[in-house]
Amino acid sequence: MKDFSVGIRKIGFLVLSVLGGLILWQLFTTFSQIPSFIFPKPTEVWDRLIIVIGDGTLLKHSLITLQEVVFGLLLGLSAAIVIGYLLAKSRAVERVLAPYIVASQSIPIVAIAPLLVIWLGPGIFSKILTSALIVFFPVLVNTVVGLKSVPRELYDLMRSLQASPWQRIYKLEIPAALPVFLGGLRIGATLSVIGAVVGEFVGADKGLGFLVNVGRGLYDTSLVFVAVFTIVLLSLGLYGSVIFLENRLLSWQKRNGD
Amino acid sequence: MQKFAILWIMLIVLLTGACSGTGTGDDPITELTHIRLPMGYIPNVQYAPFYAAVEKGFFEENGIELEFDYSYETDGVALVGANELYFSVVSGEQVPIARAEGLPIVYVMAWYEKYPIVVISKTEQNIKDPLDLVGKRVALPGPFGANYVGLRAFLGEVGLQESDIIMESVGFTQVEVLAADTSEVIVGYSANEPIQLKAQGYDLDVILVSDYIDLVSNGLITNEKTLAENPDLVERMVSATLKGIEYAVENPEEAFQFCFKYVEGLENSDQDVQFDVLKASMELYQTDPYGYSHPEAWENMQQVLMQMGLMKKEIDLEEAYTNEFSQ
Repeated sequence: MKDFSVGIRKIGFLVLSVLGGLILWQLFTTFSQIPSFIFPKPTEVWDRLIIVIGDGTLLKHSLITLQEVVFGLLLGLSAAIVIGYLLAKSRAVERVLAPYIVASQSIPIVAIAPLLVIWLGPGIFSKILTSALIVFFPVLVNTVVGLKSVPRELYDLMRSLQASPWQRIYKLEIPAALPVFLGGLRIGATLSVIGAVVGEFVGADKGLGFLVNVGRGLYDTSLVFVAVFTIVLLSLGLYGSVIFLENRLLSWQKRNGD
Repeated sequence: MQKFAILWIMLIVLLTGACSGTGTGDDPITELTHIRLPMGYIPNVQYAPFYAAVEKGFFEENGIELEFDYSYETDGVALVGANELYFSVVSGEQVPIARAEGLPIVYVMAWYEKYPIVVISKTEQNIKDPLDLVGKRVALPGPFGANYVGLRAFLGEVGLQESDIIMESVGFTQVEVLAADTSEVIVGYSANEPIQLKAQGYDLDVILVSDYIDLVSNGLITNEKTLAENPDLVERMVSATLKGIEYAVENPEEAFQFCFKYVEGLENSDQDVQFDVLKASMELYQTDPYGYSHPEAWENMQQVLMQMGLMKKEIDLEEAYTNEFSQ
């Protein structure tokens, strides 16, 4: 019962905070008389939202971006986990690959996104790859850190119990590295949306990034706001999904903590 | 004592005269108005008339200190619309689109007479006629901006629809995708992509949109407030720019030399190609008289934009442009 009332209070504060922000925004744009192509009123953004929901535009473009994000996330995660495992386990691999990986992170994704369009064509693959590239590094780093943080004694214990390599991975390394790995996933999931949207900015005729471009091209700033808020919601949704996953997968850790 | 007083008075008169240069109407303008001018694209030899006007002192003579701003075209339009900036260089289609959204901008000088968009293919594709485009993969930056407007206007004029071609949004990578045969046809600027591709040894077929439809092209915009409250500034800005255009047309080699100061890396690029780019762009901006935009080109533009759904409502074109400042 106590938990329930705490939850209600939290939601109440959230609603109040959002409403307060919207009222301030409406008052500011009304009294400052800023033209709507510079800073639209919340009511104008709302009207635009209703239109793009009604004609199916928002759903169509959101689904495209979501598709790119999901595949990008899967690709980035898979690559980061495999390479991260190799880096954590082999000093030779680490020495060979680390300079490339670190250097690759200093390349602005916006600069290489046009090249990806040339190499992979204007379709969905270039956007999946920009998303995967941006996801890769934080997940990789956390995978390596997570695996390296497994206490040496636990490896000795597994060895004394004559655990197979698979058992060592499944029973020891995955559970031990999971909290740190999921921390990386939280960042990666949010970044994956940015990656896909950057890809869409560069060359696309579908997706939320494209919708932002259309809004800018038509001086329809309300449409830009609608697309940006949808991008934020998508990122928050993914972030929330990782938190949910974290709560499910790490429930044993909390129980032990209690 | 009296002599001393006279000397003092003379000294004060001299000093006052030296400090206040703008005293009479006959004096040249000494206080410069700083103008930040969004160009809509990166530093490029195509802007040689502006560079020439600065270097030859045309802006300074007209009391203007010009600063080039290479931000996005739409940002320039929005800033002029919000009266944050006085002027911007924009493509013609931006004016009706922006005015339909309530931006009080006015086109005050035509720079290009012909709409610069072209449809380009390798000769082996054998696209000689607009109808040969049916079923072809046509790449352009995206369904926005001058490339898209030009393509749609062209398709409409030759009786085709967007669904008759396979449109591909590739960002600003048209040269690369045509070279790599990723797309069969690209849409670009007559003074850019065809010259770059020809320099790389490709034989091309180029179809000019302006051969099929007259559309308003690149020019200078201001806002209604500046036009109403400071027409003298508009007049000075337009006249200096037109002088630069005229000078560049008459002295292309010298205008090209001015570009080295503004276009970073020009000295290391293929200068023959860059000079060709300048000459090709000059073919576009020989308006007669200089600065004049044709009313029928505005009508065509509005019609095309309405058909494309890029404008929610028709605008009063009389308010969108003026030829008052053309030579």
